[in-house]
Amino acid sequence: MPAPLARAWKPALIAGIVVVYVSAVGLIEQFAEVYAIGTQVSLARVLLLLPLFLAGWVATRTTVERGERKVLAMPQAALSGAVTGLVGGAMVSIVLLAVDAIDPDTIGEVLIAVSTKLLGIVSFDQSLGTGIVLWLVLGAVVGALGGVVRALSPGARRVVLAGPLTIGVLAILQRVVSTAIKELGFRPDFLYDSKTSGLTWAGGIAAAVIVTLAVVGRDVLRSRPEAAAAPAARPAAASTGLGGFTTRQLVQGAVAIIAVLALPWVIGTALSGTVGTVMIFILLGLGLNIVVGFAGLLDLGYVAFFAFGAYATALLTGAQVNTTDGAGDPAFSLGLNFYVAIPIVVLLAAGVGLLVGSPVLRLRGDYLAIVTLGLGEVVSTLVTSKWAEGLVGGPQGMRDITGGDIGPTDFQNNPRHFYYLALVFVLLALYTSWRLQYSRVGRAWNAMREDEQVADAMGISTTRYKLLAFATGGAIGSLGGALLAIQLGSLTPRSFDVNVSILALAVVILGGLGSLRGVMVGSLALVGLPGFLREFEEFRPLALGAVIIAIMLLRPQGILPNVRVTEDIADEDRDQDAWARAAAGQPATETSAVEPA
Amino acid sequence: MMAGKGADAEERKPVLELRQVNTHYGLVAVLRDVDMAIYPGEMVCLLGGNASGKSTTLKTILGYVTPSSGEVVFDGEVISGKSTTEIVRRGVSMVPENRRLFGDMTVEENLLLGAYTRTDKAAVEQDRQMVLDTFPVVGERLKQKAGTLSGGQQQMVAMGRALMANPKVLLMDEPSMGLAPILVDQVFEIIKTIRSLGRTVFVVEQNANMALSIADRGYVIQTGRVVLADTAANLLANPMMREAYLGEL
Ligand SMILES: Nc1ncnc2c1ncn2[C@@H]1O[C@H](COP(=O)(O)OP(=O)(O)OP(=O)(O)O)[C@@H](O)[C@H]1O
Ligand SMILES: [Mg+2]
Repeated sequence: MPAPLARAWKPALIAGIVVVYVSAVGLIEQFAEVYAIGTQVSLARVLLLLPLFLAGWVATRTTVERGERKVLAMPQAALSGAVTGLVGGAMVSIVLLAVDAIDPDTIGEVLIAVSTKLLGIVSFDQSLGTGIVLWLVLGAVVGALGGVVRALSPGARRVVLAGPLTIGVLAILQRVVSTAIKELGFRPDFLYDSKTSGLTWAGGIAAAVIVTLAVVGRDVLRSRPEAAAAPAARPAAASTGLGGFTTRQLVQGAVAIIAVLALPWVIGTALSGTVGTVMIFILLGLGLNIVVGFAGLLDLGYVAFFAFGAYATALLTGAQVNTTDGAGDPAFSLGLNFYVAIPIVVLLAAGVGLLVGSPVLRLRGDYLAIVTLGLGEVVSTLVTSKWAEGLVGGPQGMRDITGGDIGPTDFQNNPRHFYYLALVFVLLALYTSWRLQYSRVGRAWNAMREDEQVADAMGISTTRYKLLAFATGGAIGSLGGALLAIQLGSLTPRSFDVNVSILALAVVILGGLGSLRGVMVGSLALVGLPGFLREFEEFRPLALGAVIIAIMLLRPQGILPNVRVTEDIADEDRDQDAWARAAAGQPATETSAVEPA
Repeated sequence: MMAGKGADAEERKPVLELRQVNTHYGLVAVLRDVDMAIYPGEMVCLLGGNASGKSTTLKTILGYVTPSSGEVVFDGEVISGKSTTEIVRRGVSMVPENRRLFGDMTVEENLLLGAYTRTDKAAVEQDRQMVLDTFPVVGERLKQKAGTLSGGQQQMVAMGRALMANPKVLLMDEPSMGLAPILVDQVFEIIKTIRSLGRTVFVVEQNANMALSIADRGYVIQTGRVVLADTAANLLANPMMREAYLGEL
């Protein structure tokens, strides 16, 4: 096989499958009339062509052959990308032809999203013949672009990508950005077309140019001698000291703080509500991250802590249960102030963590997952049951939960106020997680996750640390539940089904097990995005599935993995080492037995 | 602790002793009436064929498995039945079979984990320095992920990690396993170095020749029973040994 084709087929195949998948599940049709920019570029079209761009990018990766790193020169990169895009485009074309031959509406009886209309959309609103020609041509062009961008130097790549990424982000966050512009007292018409809700060409290009210039400017400033070594020093990741911040870091910190504090006033009330929910899931994610990410205990019943936090808060602060004829006092309730109740809820949740943890201590991996899944279900069933009606309202749930207000605040009705309350909780949980991560305890968890038996041999009491993980994880998760109770003012058991466990786990895994930043990004993507981009909402479960499968296959460490500062050489160099050893006739067993998974 | 070996050592009390130990995995007896004694400052090796129960002996000492009868005595106290954590805390540490470093952690973190049970910061720092002096290669790679080290380097880190516990007895399970011949020599050099630091070492080996050349005494175990126990020199000269384990006819 000629070299470009040999590299092309795999990424092209995956890209083709992704295109067919997003079309077949209805994502494309949903986004057909959501415009990114002008009326030519809909998000659907971006979504259709992006996989081919990425395929071209992947196909152009540097490879190690016979101990030498092969960096592709620009023309070869373009060629390899183009071939990949072409193959991908051809694959899509074949599927289009097949669907057309069988009749889309017949297929639609099985895959409801498939229809003549969808076929038209995927053919770029042209006849099938023209559509196929377009797929081949655009595929090759887009793939070649992917290849070329990959072959650029990192600096040049940043500059080239800055504009398109800006347009992409502005298009996806249209609701957020246009609300923000309105909140600031301007009209968003210069940026967004009020009819299509997409970017205007003038506005989009202007924004792209400005950002590109900013990137260029920054790179020029940085390219002074002392900054040359900058890539090695990861920004702020490792600095733990209190003093010793550079001016730059101080400025960045100040900007970040102001941005976080001003956010609800910029994005408007409705979106502040969404962000509030995102923060509840950040709490769940942070808690679960301790159990799964730090300690390596796969817990599928995490919703139990969420439910416990919510109901315990309701009961301790004196809410009402819903009954068939109005509301009534629950079998047990205290009229505590919310801020008195919270520490009690957290402590009790930690206790529940110990309780849940002790019976499953001896279980590993899959068994642990199944048993915790069962325990989670037990909790959901309990709060829904008739039996619990007197205490937590059973299927009817609870209401009249305190707003936890201090002075003039109105957490229940004003999402902006709620944002600040949630922020405090999130910061607390973040700080706790961060401290734990780099402490003795964190190191013990790490060791336990990697090799329980050897951890034992280091004198680490794995039983104690497992319990500790369940307790801290549970405590943080209960904070999320408490916030939910405050936010809604009422509870129904439907909010506590197994989906919460799965979504929380997805948040943790998507962001990268063990990574705190990852939890925030994961929450924003899985919980925030559907709020910002309404069309996405009904596809969340599908997207979840696809994203998780893709991540597990392509990037098992998550989007933002928990970066540990190590000085080992890049994988490519290691491949080269392996090759050199093999060439020298040494057994490969020496390292293969210990290669990290 | 150097010359004189056996005779000298026997007058003292053993630091580690197995008394009539039987260990079962389920219904299967793996160790049968095992008696062993290791004296302070000694280097003792445990030889035997595959599946003869060598690793099980170490696991029994470290409390991974509890003997079904008999007892393990460490420092004058019975430790069989206690948790691994507790046994490690009292001063037993192990270089596990296949090294088993924490591959995703740095070399430095691996070393620190070795000293996990210790609270005496200054002494730990001293031992760290000692480990780095003994294995200069380890010092050069403190920030590297342990999983990316070569097999020989990993073995040094594994030994360093075990030494960081400042153990009274150091157990090693087949330290030469899976290493190229040159590295095997290197590993035995390292064990000699550790020995010259005055450590008590109990090492399981398949490489009987090498092990006996550096040990004071040795036990030979067959299907869970101790069949020979003698000084290293005598074992090396023993005709039965020569036939069965030393690869001669
Ligand atoms: N966890 C276990 N459960 C059941 N049987 C076990 C277990 N561990 C070891 N065994 C069995 O006990 C016997 C002795 O095993 P052990 O690991 O002690 O052998 P060994 O002498 O260390 O062998 P090798 O030189 O191959 O490492 C073997 O037959 C083995 O199959
Ligand atoms: Mg063994």
